[in-house]
Amino acid sequence: MRPNVCILRTDGTNCDVETMYAIEKAGGRGQLTHVNQLRTGLVNLMDFQMLILPGGFTYGDDVHSGKILAVELSSFLKEKMLEFVQHGKLVLGICNGFQVLVRTGLLPGGTPGDITVTLMNNDSGRFECRWVDMKVEASNCIFTQGMDGSVVNYQSAHGEGKFYTGKDTLSRLESAGQVVFRYCSTEGSPTLSYPANPNGSLNAIAGISDPTGRILGLMPHPERFIEPYQHPNWRRRKLKPYGLTIFENAISYAQQM
Amino acid sequence: MSIQEIRIKNIAGLPEVKGNEILYEIQHSLRVESVTAVRTAQVFRFEGVTEKEAKVLAEELLAEKIFQEYTLNSPIVNNYDYMIEVAYKPGVMNPEAASLMKAARDLDINTLQAADSSTEYFFIGSGITQSEIDLITKRLVVNDTVEQVINEKPQTLVISGSLGETEVIPLRSMTENEMVRLSKDRLFLNLDEMKIIRSYFNDIDRDPTDCELETIAQTWSEHCVHKTFKAKLIVDGQEKEPLMKRLQHATKKANHPLVLSSFVDNSGVMDFYEGYAVCGKVETHNSPSAIEPYGGAMTGSGGVFRDIMGTGQGAKVVSSTDMFCVAEPGLPFSEVPAGCLHPNYLLRRVVAGVKDYGNRMGIPTNNGSVHFHRDFRAKPSIIVGAYGILPADKCTKGEPQAGDLAIAVGGRTGRDGIHGATFSSGEMTHRTISVNSSAVQIGHPIEEKRMSDALLNARDKDLIRAITDCGAGGFSSALGEMGEDIGVEVWLDKMPLKYPGLAPWEIWQSESQERMVVAIDPHNLEQLVEICKEYNVEATVIGKFTGNKRLEVWYDKEIVCNLDMEFLHNGLPQRIMTGSWQPQTLDEPADKQPAHWPATYKNIMATLNVCSKEPIVRLYDHGVQSGSALPPFGGVAFDAPNDATVVTPVLGKNYGLVISHGLNPILNNIDPYYGSLWASAEAVSNAIASGLNPKDICLIDNFVWPFPDEEALGALDMAVDACTDFVQATGMPFISGKDSLSSTYRSQQGEVIKIPPVLCVSAFGRLEDVTKTVSTDFKVDGSQIILVGYRDTSQMGGSTYFELLGAVGNKLPKLDPSKLYQVWQSIYTNIQDNSLLACHDISEGGLAACLAEMCFGGNLGAKINIPAAQRADYFMFNETAGCFLTEIPANIEPGQLFKDIPYIKLGVTDVRPYITITHGDKELLDVSINELKASWQKPMKEVFGG
Repeated sequence: MRPNVCILRTDGTNCDVETMYAIEKAGGRGQLTHVNQLRTGLVNLMDFQMLILPGGFTYGDDVHSGKILAVELSSFLKEKMLEFVQHGKLVLGICNGFQVLVRTGLLPGGTPGDITVTLMNNDSGRFECRWVDMKVEASNCIFTQGMDGSVVNYQSAHGEGKFYTGKDTLSRLESAGQVVFRYCSTEGSPTLSYPANPNGSLNAIAGISDPTGRILGLMPHPERFIEPYQHPNWRRRKLKPYGLTIFENAISYAQQM
Repeated sequence: MSIQEIRIKNIAGLPEVKGNEILYEIQHSLRVESVTAVRTAQVFRFEGVTEKEAKVLAEELLAEKIFQEYTLNSPIVNNYDYMIEVAYKPGVMNPEAASLMKAARDLDINTLQAADSSTEYFFIGSGITQSEIDLITKRLVVNDTVEQVINEKPQTLVISGSLGETEVIPLRSMTENEMVRLSKDRLFLNLDEMKIIRSYFNDIDRDPTDCELETIAQTWSEHCVHKTFKAKLIVDGQEKEPLMKRLQHATKKANHPLVLSSFVDNSGVMDFYEGYAVCGKVETHNSPSAIEPYGGAMTGSGGVFRDIMGTGQGAKVVSSTDMFCVAEPGLPFSEVPAGCLHPNYLLRRVVAGVKDYGNRMGIPTNNGSVHFHRDFRAKPSIIVGAYGILPADKCTKGEPQAGDLAIAVGGRTGRDGIHGATFSSGEMTHRTISVNSSAVQIGHPIEEKRMSDALLNARDKDLIRAITDCGAGGFSSALGEMGEDIGVEVWLDKMPLKYPGLAPWEIWQSESQERMVVAIDPHNLEQLVEICKEYNVEATVIGKFTGNKRLEVWYDKEIVCNLDMEFLHNGLPQRIMTGSWQPQTLDEPADKQPAHWPATYKNIMATLNVCSKEPIVRLYDHGVQSGSALPPFGGVAFDAPNDATVVTPVLGKNYGLVISHGLNPILNNIDPYYGSLWASAEAVSNAIASGLNPKDICLIDNFVWPFPDEEALGALDMAVDACTDFVQATGMPFISGKDSLSSTYRSQQGEVIKIPPVLCVSAFGRLEDVTKTVSTDFKVDGSQIILVGYRDTSQMGGSTYFELLGAVGNKLPKLDPSKLYQVWQSIYTNIQDNSLLACHDISEGGLAACLAEMCFGGNLGAKINIPAAQRADYFMFNETAGCFLTEIPANIEPGQLFKDIPYIKLGVTDVRPYITITHGDKELLDVSINELKASWQKPMKEVFGG
């Protein structure tokens, strides 16, 4: 069975097509869905096993990155999203999608409206596109099963990716094991130093999940590393396209639903 | 109802990113020391909402309490020495306003009439003077053409105005002087052209409206009609074929089997694989970028993307390129001509414009370059390109039929960019900035992105007969061209406007971005409008194609323009122009070898034209669309430049689209013919070095030239001859091109600065399997380093090495394209056979820079020997295009690979990260690659950070 995956798009979404490709390659059936189609009821979210919010600049990232879409989802689709999550379905937010998830409150608590963490301007003040190493932490996250402890190399491309929150929330996330990805040195030690940590994220956090492990958000782009030749250095050494693993894990979980 | 004001700032203790950036500029660029801190706050104003609703907006939309705090209708920062608030000028569209309106509606606040946002800057420090604040305001904080300082709370945010009148211009009774005055700053036509217009109106026995004169001026502008390129040319007394015809004939003669359309559409189209075609277009946006670099570069990118979107029945943009020529960032302020911007500011702002447009639209900017020369201080050359993919069976436009509807799709029309087409055809003067500031605007990439999504959907449903973009000249140009053969009737009162108050001719001529026009069968109207609505895109019927071969423009019941298409498009007589170019004798450097080789090597690496441009590339999202099989930078530390970019526009297929370019303004100054051959050869060599087959390449030309006086025209004639000779020798056709002939600056005192003539050649092509491509980084310790290609190392004119010695020189590389072809064929074959581990073409900085970059990429050293008979400095620093450094395995005999192509075995790669060079039996240098790399990376880090 090929699980149905809703790839949500709106004005300014721009990583939707490659995310669709990743899903199809991993064995899912993707459907590019405009938020207008969910609002009008033309498409029903509950028909999907997984929701992906891809990267881009939704509504120009006006006010804050992902904010306008987050307000739209929180206003019109709050109950739908809650229902979706409560049915044990999967949600993935990449880059701008991660920004939307924290601004709706779906991350880290899984509760729409409860906004406890943020992604703010990179410390450098610049949008930057570069490949970064990330350590995969041991967690219950569905998307990273079997990857614990490994170091993956993904491309990051953002201007507002600094993970920031208050001390209490931070220690709660850490002790609950909700930190899934950390920027690290090539040897695998989490780092605060630029450019390995491209944005100055607290505790080098690059991606987090909700307590159930079924909602994941991360800044770097797994969908940009689905084929070996998408990596700049595929000519130097044989590389496993680690990006694909994230999608494969999600699809094989969704197949059990 | 009154306006509610919400102010927001970060909570204390968090980094002040924006403020610190300005503080850095204050201290480093302006060298003002009194300011010790800068803070910023955002201001949002809402008209038509209650205080309670404003509180909802503040908490649900604007301020994130995790890191921000807000105030409602009161100041948010109280301790400061100076404060200024900066907002967009009324009439300049604030891209954020529409999002604020949308979010308010989503929050169930439905009475909001208008919204705006602005920024407050707070300056802290003792002894700050008003004149320092004025300087900071002018240089760093306010962009005069689109922004202003706000001193009091506005009364209203709603822009009102009444319809402007259509004016009749008494042209028939004008004297010659009056016609010249009318033309200046408005029409940019010469007296002869004005007289032809007058005689047309004499014949039809009435005076023209302003709208008609503007339409003719736009259609006849150099920018739109290319008078020079179509002129009858007399060179040194001999009549020659017009430049444009020469280029087109060469292409036709080459009869390349992959060319699907050349010089007729918005871009050139070549065949790809499996029913797909790829297309390419490269544009200049010099004049707008010179006065407002951010908006100019943004609209340059937006415009060239729409050229791709408007190719055939619509293409998807898959890559963006940028080539900039500017003066050195360290230019003293006193050297900046009046009315011009400082190159450091200008460069950073054009980069920001390309970045914000491409990144937001989701188009990877993955090929480009920056060239520095002091003579660009009066006007930069800002070149932007775009490439797209479309079904091959939709790569030609249909002809609009009588009864077809004209639909405006995308953004609304405002007073933006009026006179862009005519303005960019004029020379730049000290008055340019103040007179023509309406010729620039701020682009809105999200509008363009959703329009592109909607149009591609409509194309796939076969709804589009023909499509074109609204660029220079706006609707006037788009509809005038679309209806050229058939005639069109236009209803200006139907056009959706950003705000009221425009005169009919302004609506007609407006160059508001993000608009396109499609011609459709009326039966398809409903479906097209439905698709657009789904993507939040406006689509409006604005006219219909008639069959009467006239251009009839109405505003309600008044006809404001009624012209014969034949006169409009063919009434302009061919110009006769003369050209003659004489070589000048340039300075030769003192004849001596480097006294200290390591220092010379590092100096070469640190020159602006050689140094790493990585900090610029990092700002561009060059990975979006996931199609990158050869990115701009790679290697162990991801910091070594590749020669071309290779993208896979069909995900899941290994088909590659290869994109590269070449240009060299300095060589063109020495000899326009050989300089132009060099540019063509460099563009192609970059693509070949990455693995492209020389049979699968098409080219695009961009001539950025001084105003065509006799000398400039003589040079242009030679450059075009070089291009056509190149096509003939290699079979690679030019299939798209553009000329911009206004790179001349004239000051009030009569000082004339001619900007160096630039021919930018872009190359693009297809390859079947991206896994058969190579990068430039050395891969293996102990492999052989082989120099391949024809070169005469005494041809050092125009080289970086000579520049370091303070001279230009006269003897430049004189390339033979047919010999080059053999070299390219050999490199290609060896890449196909997987025989090359790495390959890098030699350009600025010569073999020395090329070798160093390959070492950086592999984090490997190299030991090389210069043959004793060769002059060491020329050998290392010669910049002949079409030569390659290759890395081949230790156990392969290079003669087996390169056969009768000239090659030299230079040495071997080495695990010790040093470059060691011997000349005969003498050691010239042994320098660490990290030292070289630091010198090479420093200059752009200083400009862009990183």
